[in-house]
Amino acid sequence: MDKTMAMPLYLIKKRRIKRFYLMITLFFVIIQLLWVGIPIFMAIMWSLVNPDDAWSYPNLIPPSFSLEQWRYVFNYTNIARALKTSYSIAPLAVILSFLLSLPTSYVLGRKDIPGKKVFMLVVLLPMIMPGMVVALFLSRVFNLMGLSQTFLGLVLAHTLMSMPYMIRVMTTSFASIPQDVIDAAENLGAGTFVKIKDIFLPMIRPGLIAGMIFAFTTSIEEFNLTFIIGTPTFETIPTILYSFMGYNFIRTNASVVSLLMMTPNIIMLFIVERFLKSDYLSASLGKM
Amino acid sequence: MKKKDKMTPFIILMLIPGVGFIVFFIGSSISITVLQSLGFFNMMGESGFTLGYWKSILSSREAIDSLLFSLRMGILSSVGTVLVAFPLALFFRKSGPAKGMLGSIIKVPLFIPALVAAFLILNLISYHGLINTTLMRLNIIDEPLRMLNDSFGWGVITIQIWKNLPFVLLILMSAISSIRDDTIDAARNLGAGYWSVLFRIYIPLAMPGILVAMILMFIKAFGDFPITSVAGPVYPSSVANRMQIMANLYQEWNQAAVLGVIIIITTFFVIWAYSRFAELVQGGA
Amino acid sequence: MATLKLTNLVKHFDDVVAVDHIDLEVADGEFVTLLGPSGCGKTTTLRTIAGFYYPDEGEVYFGDRIMNNIPPNKRDTAMCFQSYALFPHMSVWDNISFGLKMRKMPASEQKIKIERVMEMLSLSELGKRKPGQLSGGQQQRVALARSIVTEPEVLLFDEPLSNLDAKLRVQVRVEIREMQKRLGITAIYVTHDQDEALAISDRIVIMEQGRIEQIGDPYTIYRHPETQFVAGFIGLANIFDGVVLEVEGTRCTVQAPFGNVLINAEGQEVPHKGATIHFSWRPEDMKIRDRTSKNQITGNVLQAVFMGDITDLFIEVNGYKMRAQSDDEAKIVAGDSVSFGIAEHAFSILRE
Ligand SMILES: Nc1ncnc2c1ncn2[C@@H]1O[C@H](COP(=O)(O)OP(=O)(O)OP(=O)(O)O)[C@@H](O)[C@H]1O
Ligand SMILES: [Mg+2]
Repeated sequence: MDKTMAMPLYLIKKRRIKRFYLMITLFFVIIQLLWVGIPIFMAIMWSLVNPDDAWSYPNLIPPSFSLEQWRYVFNYTNIARALKTSYSIAPLAVILSFLLSLPTSYVLGRKDIPGKKVFMLVVLLPMIMPGMVVALFLSRVFNLMGLSQTFLGLVLAHTLMSMPYMIRVMTTSFASIPQDVIDAAENLGAGTFVKIKDIFLPMIRPGLIAGMIFAFTTSIEEFNLTFIIGTPTFETIPTILYSFMGYNFIRTNASVVSLLMMTPNIIMLFIVERFLKSDYLSASLGKM
Repeated sequence: MKKKDKMTPFIILMLIPGVGFIVFFIGSSISITVLQSLGFFNMMGESGFTLGYWKSILSSREAIDSLLFSLRMGILSSVGTVLVAFPLALFFRKSGPAKGMLGSIIKVPLFIPALVAAFLILNLISYHGLINTTLMRLNIIDEPLRMLNDSFGWGVITIQIWKNLPFVLLILMSAISSIRDDTIDAARNLGAGYWSVLFRIYIPLAMPGILVAMILMFIKAFGDFPITSVAGPVYPSSVANRMQIMANLYQEWNQAAVLGVIIIITTFFVIWAYSRFAELVQGGA
Repeated sequence: MATLKLTNLVKHFDDVVAVDHIDLEVADGEFVTLLGPSGCGKTTTLRTIAGFYYPDEGEVYFGDRIMNNIPPNKRDTAMCFQSYALFPHMSVWDNISFGLKMRKMPASEQKIKIERVMEMLSLSELGKRKPGQLSGGQQQRVALARSIVTEPEVLLFDEPLSNLDAKLRVQVRVEIREMQKRLGITAIYVTHDQDEALAISDRIVIMEQGRIEQIGDPYTIYRHPETQFVAGFIGLANIFDGVVLEVEGTRCTVQAPFGNVLINAEGQEVPHKGATIHFSWRPEDMKIRDRTSKNQITGNVLQAVFMGDITDLFIEVNGYKMRAQSDDEAKIVAGDSVSFGIAEHAFSILRE
C-alpha cells in the first residue's frame, strides 16, 4: 500500500499500460491454446475411450477412461510393424540425404557460380511439385528400375522428399560462415583437413542438426509417395492412419495412431525452438 | 566486387549428388507424365502421338468439376490463411511479455503431419463433433451443421488453415520484421493514421512475403491428396484424387497423366505469375 | 507556425532516465540545435516532441496547446530521420506527396507544392526513381523535401547529415538553414557535430545525461561556457581550479596551480573572495609573445602538431600541461621556450 502511495504517477500509468498489454497477450494465449489445444485434447480423449462405456452425445468428455484402445491397436493392427518401417526408413533417408546434400550445399553456400538461382530453385522442386503427381509417375520410373514395392525404393523416395529441406538449411549455414574466419584459418596455416574439422563442421553444426530434424520429420510424415510406391507391401504410420480414416473410419484407432505420430514431432519442435535460431526454420520453409 | 566462380569439373562433381539426384527423379517423372499424356511411352499396349486423352479429359464433366474444386480450395485456403496470419504477424512484430511462449504454441501445427491435422480438426467439425455438440447443448442450433465432407469444401479449407497457419505466419513475420520502425514512425509523423499505415506501409512492404505465402499455400492446397480425400465432399474429388483413381483403380494412366500435366502446368504458371508480379511490386529496385 | 515549449519534461526507459526535467522555449521561426554526446537524450527529446513517446512528466506545448495526448499523426510536425526513413516501395514523388495525401489536399494543389519543393532541392529530375536508386545525398534531400512540403508548425531534424561526406554536409546544412529561414518554420535540430551546431543555429542547447547544461547563441556557448562540461565539450579548452585571492569590482586575482591569473568576470557571476572556482580559456586566447596582456605565462613546448592553417601546441607551465595555438609565422618547434599573453576577458568561470 505504502509503495503505491509513494509511486510517481508516471510509474503507475506505465504499470497500467504494461498490464493492459499483458491482458491482450493472455487473451491471445488462451485463444491459441484453444485453437491448438482442443483438437489435441479431443484426440487424447478419443484414444482413452472405454469400449464398454460408449462416448456419445451429449457428453463433452468420455464417461470413463481405459487403455483398451491402445492395447487393441497394438495387438490387432499392423501398427507395430508400421512403426518399425517408419522408424527404419527415416534414419536411412536422413543419412542418405545428408551425404548427397553436403557437397551441393557447400558449393551453393560458398561459391558464386553462374546460374546459382536456378540451382536453388531446382533443389526446391520436390517440395514445390504436387506430391501425388510425383508419386504416381515416379512409381512408373521405379517400376522400370524394379524399385516399386521395395524397401530401397521407399528410402530413395523419402530421401528425395527431404533433400530440399536439407540442402536449403545447410546452404544457409555454409553461406553464413564469414569469409574472414576461413581466411584467418588459412593465414594461420590450416590445411584442408583442419579447415573442415575445425572450421566448417563446428560452424555448420546447428544448421546440420536443423536439417536432419526437418529431414527426419519429413520422412515420418511422408504420405503420397509411400502410399503409391510402398502399399500394400509396406505400411508406414501415415498410410496406416489413412486406412483408418478411409471407408471404415475407426475414430479410436485413428486417435491412437495420430498421437503416436505427432508426439515425437512436437518434441522435436521444442528441440528446434530451444536450440536453434529461428532462421533455420524460415530458411527451410520459405522464401524462394 | 566479389569475383565469380567458374564451373570447374570439381564444382560440377560436387553438384551431381544433390542437384543431379533431384533432377534425375523429378525430371524423369515429369517427362513420363508429359509423354504419357500425349500417348507415348505406354507400359503396355501400343504407343503413339495422340491428343485423344486430352480431349477426353477436357470434355469430362467430372474432371472439370475436380479441377474447379481444387482451384477453389487452392485460392480460398491461401487467402484464408493469409487473412488469419497477417494480423498475428503484426502482433508479433514487437516482442512483449509471454510472446515467446505464444510463438511456440502457434508453431505446433507446423510439426503435425497433414493427415493427423485432418483427423484432429475432423473430431471438432464432424456431424457429431465437439462444435456441433457444444452448439446444440447451448441451444444455438437444433440440427448439427454439416461442416465435414460438405459439398463446398469448408472442412478442407478449415484443415488447411489450421495446419498451415504457422508456416504462413513464419513467412509473414520475416517479411514484416524487415520493415524498419523508422519507416512506420515517418508515416505516422506525416499524418498517417492506423489504417493508412496498414494499407500504405505494412501491406505494400510485406507484399513480397504475402505473395510467397499465398503461392506456396495455393500449390499445397491445389495439389493436395490426403486432406481432401478425408474431409472433402463425396463429389467432386480433388484433381490429385481423381488422377490417383484414374491411374490406380481404372488403370487409365494416359488420362491420369493429362491431369498430372494440368496440375504441373498450373503450379508452374502460378510460380511464373508470382515472379512477374513480384518484379512489378518491387519495381526496378 | 508556432512557438514550442517543453516544461519539466521527463522520460524514463525502465531505469534509464533519458530526459531529466528539461525546460525549453523555442520562439516562432527560431532554429534551435540540441547538441551533446551520444546517449544524452537528444533523440528521446525530439521523439517526445513528435509524439512517439509519451512524457512521464511535464508537458509539450505548441503555442499554448498542450500536446501530450495528441498522437503523432495529429501533430503538425515533420521529422527528418537520421536513417532518412524513406518509403522504399514508393517513388520520390510518392514519398514527397505522402504527407499531403494524408492531409487530403487536392491533387492539383499537391502538384504545385511538390514541384516547388523539388525545384528548390534540385530533385526535379528524380521524381520517378525509387529511394534505392538514389545516392545518400539525394536520399537526404528527398527526406528533407518530404518533411518541409507539408509546411509543418515544427520541423524536427535528427542528425540528418551524419551519413554524408564532409563537403556535402556543409553544402546541405547551408541549404537547410536557408530554407528554414525562407519558410520561417520553427526548427529543432539534433547533432553531435559541434561545428554544424555553431554554424547554423540561432541558439544551441547543450545536453548531458538527459539534462540541459547551457542554452545560448553560438557565440556565447563558445566564448562563455558556463559549466566544465560545456567548456570541455565545445572546442578545446584549458580548464583549471583556483582560489580567489582578491576581488575588485569584476576583476579577480586567482591563485591557480601554475601561477596567479587576473580574471575579469564582466558579464559573468563574480565569485567571492576565498572561493574555489573552476575557470577555462581557449588555446587561441594564448597570444604568442604578446606583452600587452595582463596575464603573462612562459612555457616549454612539448609538442607542436602542424594542422595546416594553424599549429597545435602542447606546452608545460610550471609542471602543468596546457594547449595553445600558433600560426605559421611564429615557426615554433618542440623544445622552444615561449611566452604567452592572455587577456583578462578571455576567461570563463565555470559551474560544476
Ligand atoms: N527505446 C529505448 N529503450 C530503452 N532505452 C532507450 C531507448 N531509447 C533510448 N534509450 C536510452 O536513453 C538514453 C538516451 O537515448 P537517446 O537515443 O535519446 O540518445 P541520443 O542523445 O540521441 O544519442 P545519439 O547521439 O547516440 O543518437 C540512452 O541511454 C539510451 O540507451
Ligand atoms: Mg540519437
